Amino acid sequence: MVKIILKEITKKFGDFTALDNINLEIDDREFMALLGPSGSGKSTLLYTIAGIYKPTSGRIYFDDRDVTEIPPKDRNVGLVFQNWALYPHMKVFDNIAFPLELRKVPKQEIEKKVREVAKMLHIENLLDRYPWQLSGGQQQRVAIARALVKEPDVLLLDEPLSNLDALLRIEVRAELKRLQKELGITAVYVTHDQAEALAMADRIAVIREGKILQVGTPDDVYYKPKYKFVGGFLGNPPMNFVEAEVENGYLRVYESRIPVPAQYKGLIEKLDIKEVLLGFRPHDAEVVKGISEGLVGEVYSFEPLGREQIVTVSVNSGAFVKVFAPEGEHFTFGEKVTVKIREDRIVLFDKKTEKALEFLGE
Amino acid sequence: MKDVETRPSRYEWVIILAILLASLPLILGFSLLVLSSFSKEMVTNLDLSSFRFTLENWINVFQGKLATTGGIRTNILKVTFNTLIVALGVAGVVTFISALAGYSLSRIDFRGRKHMMVLLLILHAFPGVALIVGVYLLYRLTFPQSPDIIRLYSFFYVILARAALEIPMSVWLMKGFFDTIPWEFEWSGIIDGASRIKVWWKIMLPLIKPGILAVALFAFLAGWQDIIYVRTFLIDQTLATFIEANIEAEYSHMPLIAAAGTLYLLPTIIFFLTAQQILLQGYSGGIKG
Amino acid sequence: MNKINREKFTALSFFLSPMILMVVLFYLVPLVMTVYISFTRMRNWNVEKYLTEFVGFYNYQRLFYMFQHDPTFKAVILTTVVFVGITLIINVFGGLALALATFFISEKPASSFRLLWLLPRMSPIAVYSLVWYYFFHGSEIGTLNSILMKLGVISQPIPWGQTVPWGAWSIIIFVNGLVGVSFGMIVFTSALNQIPKELIIAARVDGASAWEISRKILIPLTKWHFLYVLTWQFLSLLTTYPHIFLLVQWDLVNKDYGTTLALYVFNTAFGRGEQDQGLAAAAAVILSIIGIIGGFITLKVLQFEKMMKRPRGDF
Repeated sequence: MVKIILKEITKKFGDFTALDNINLEIDDREFMALLGPSGSGKSTLLYTIAGIYKPTSGRIYFDDRDVTEIPPKDRNVGLVFQNWALYPHMKVFDNIAFPLELRKVPKQEIEKKVREVAKMLHIENLLDRYPWQLSGGQQQRVAIARALVKEPDVLLLDEPLSNLDALLRIEVRAELKRLQKELGITAVYVTHDQAEALAMADRIAVIREGKILQVGTPDDVYYKPKYKFVGGFLGNPPMNFVEAEVENGYLRVYESRIPVPAQYKGLIEKLDIKEVLLGFRPHDAEVVKGISEGLVGEVYSFEPLGREQIVTVSVNSGAFVKVFAPEGEHFTFGEKVTVKIREDRIVLFDKKTEKALEFLGE
Repeated sequence: MKDVETRPSRYEWVIILAILLASLPLILGFSLLVLSSFSKEMVTNLDLSSFRFTLENWINVFQGKLATTGGIRTNILKVTFNTLIVALGVAGVVTFISALAGYSLSRIDFRGRKHMMVLLLILHAFPGVALIVGVYLLYRLTFPQSPDIIRLYSFFYVILARAALEIPMSVWLMKGFFDTIPWEFEWSGIIDGASRIKVWWKIMLPLIKPGILAVALFAFLAGWQDIIYVRTFLIDQTLATFIEANIEAEYSHMPLIAAAGTLYLLPTIIFFLTAQQILLQGYSGGIKG
Repeated sequence: MNKINREKFTALSFFLSPMILMVVLFYLVPLVMTVYISFTRMRNWNVEKYLTEFVGFYNYQRLFYMFQHDPTFKAVILTTVVFVGITLIINVFGGLALALATFFISEKPASSFRLLWLLPRMSPIAVYSLVWYYFFHGSEIGTLNSILMKLGVISQPIPWGQTVPWGAWSIIIFVNGLVGVSFGMIVFTSALNQIPKELIIAARVDGASAWEISRKILIPLTKWHFLYVLTWQFLSLLTTYPHIFLLVQWDLVNKDYGTTLALYVFNTAFGRGEQDQGLAAAAAVILSIIGIIGGFITLKVLQFEKMMKRPRGDF
């Protein structure tokens, strides 16, 4: 039950900079997801919070306490690994009891606490087994139980669901979120799966190449991406981007024109910007047959998904956009269509820096 | 990331100090020997005042002058050369045979394969001293009549006999290296119509060069360090028998023997500095499981 | 034989015949010869005279008699037992301790130490013996003596190797112990490196010290390797002699209490003075029988069969 403050954290491995000047505050009882592609430094950041890595520079605080130099055992953190790291030679009970034994907790109390946490995670009947006798989902619960049994201030999870199959993953993530809120524990969750982050986290920190690109609620990072990368990394299918030129109050995309969205009118004038990237989510637009006001193009392909379908429209020789359309509407290849975008959901990025215009001043 | 980085470093220093302390006799023993080879008198008594730097020992070693007085001479270059021949011979024979046998034990399924591997393990653990009596009898029985080739034959025999000792472990080691090569390489060769022998020569051997190097290195060191087989079978002297004889001899100048010993140690040191990884991994190669 | 089998046979004979030839020539034939010699009166390698002179079990009876009445031979047997027992313990636990200690320090000093401890095994035996010859020398040129004298522990140099039995035993145990430790160290180090590092990190996060990690996680997970080192080292200690040979030859250690059974066999067959190959062969046969039984037990205990999987891709 602590607030975690990371101040100007940099971590280098030889010449390679894994973390580059990270500043982040994680509130008490918050569920923070660290989201990024593999190699982005998100696990390194987690291990730095845990105390496994020592930052090359910068400080880490748990509330007011500076823990930068303090070994993990004195930080009272629970850690769940991607491969769960269960001790193969110990039964489930001994695995869970291990952190308490190290703290020299009396035997009876260990017994009581292990049973409590096992009950909470529905693994009471597995206590007598060895890890290799358990399914993946069960092993994962044991790993979480082992992290929770010592009542840590912070729960750190390193892609704990990535070794589970898809259906189980969705089930467990709901449960994990409920557990975190019930216990009122601060949680940091590393994942490369944007859906997982959106579904579970209170806030998401998007990380790329050792830098935090954006921190915000799932809604924030989803609808107001600060960088083209964030828009492209979140959502399935991801955000659409097309290059556009600013021309007297209009955005010109190849041969089509759409008015500059109201929220950007002042900004564009102020910044005097000519070339932008126009971004919008697939469900924030609709495909209309024939040529009218909007992005004009041809149907390139369509993929029915049951309740809806994804239509890919070629808006000029090189650019494609994906848009959701209701089921039952029929398209043919090469058909002329117009993509009409919800104006208030349009995000404009500077073409050169790929940063959203409203953040350009930062 | 083998361990947490925030662990207190003073424990590490305690451990390092403890190992250093345990290693002290080792460090002391070897460095005093090397030091003495550059001194007028032995410095084994830790009295550094008896260390007076000189290259005389090394010069004398190469000139073959064994005693400070008198005319006793040994051609040390010849002795070193003999040692080298034995070591290279052992390395060659062991590498050749184990590269052949290791491949078939790793890649070909045949009846008796398992028994052959068990047999090799048993032979590796077999008391060498029980063999050497019989090996010597075989030597005596096959001894050539013609005196011209006796010395040559003794080289030939000591190389084969010493190599035989290394064969079981080396075959296992080599098999382990072949095991790591994916079958797909081999299949593609066989599908193209190559025979197993051709596959072995053209595809597999180039792929396991590091393994061949490791086996050759170990066999070389085995041949180089040997004293028992060399003194039993070889008519000529090697560095081992040279040192053995001169410790007992009254006339020997001790620092000179230290120089000869340091010379003898040189290849080991060179391998230490250049082939650390091979040395450290080599021993575990045969037992991964 | 059909075509495929013939091809396989050709390939197999190409690959295996050199090894088989070596095994037959330098293992099987000598073994038969050793057994044969043990039933003859062979002495001083006088092959022409004694090769065909059978004496039945006479050499074995002599061994048994010596075992009961000859103080020298009794000393050899006692030395063998003490030497194997204590050196084995030093080898196994020393190797384990070194592997664990170097496991918990940074990679650079760790590999330097591992390399340093390989030195005894890799050095030429004559040089290695030379190093300890000076270290344990009985006069004041001996390093150990001079250290102790400088520290004021002793006033006169002590002839360590001639102090029987424990002085001589200590030296041969020490010298061989250093050679064997590296084997255990290498095996245990490779075993430790195969343990997923997350297990160690997880334990660290939970507050385990290096000692607790070793005791509760690392050692239980290297049980197989422990047995492997134990049994293998037992067999090699029982039969090793090159590293003691020169120490006895140079009179650094007492001849009786510095000689193990394996060295006794060698010196009886090839040593100075009167050689008695018949007796040596008989002792060698007994040593071999112990060795072979030990070897089979080792194979069973370690379940080596599991390592001999059939090649999966051979048609």
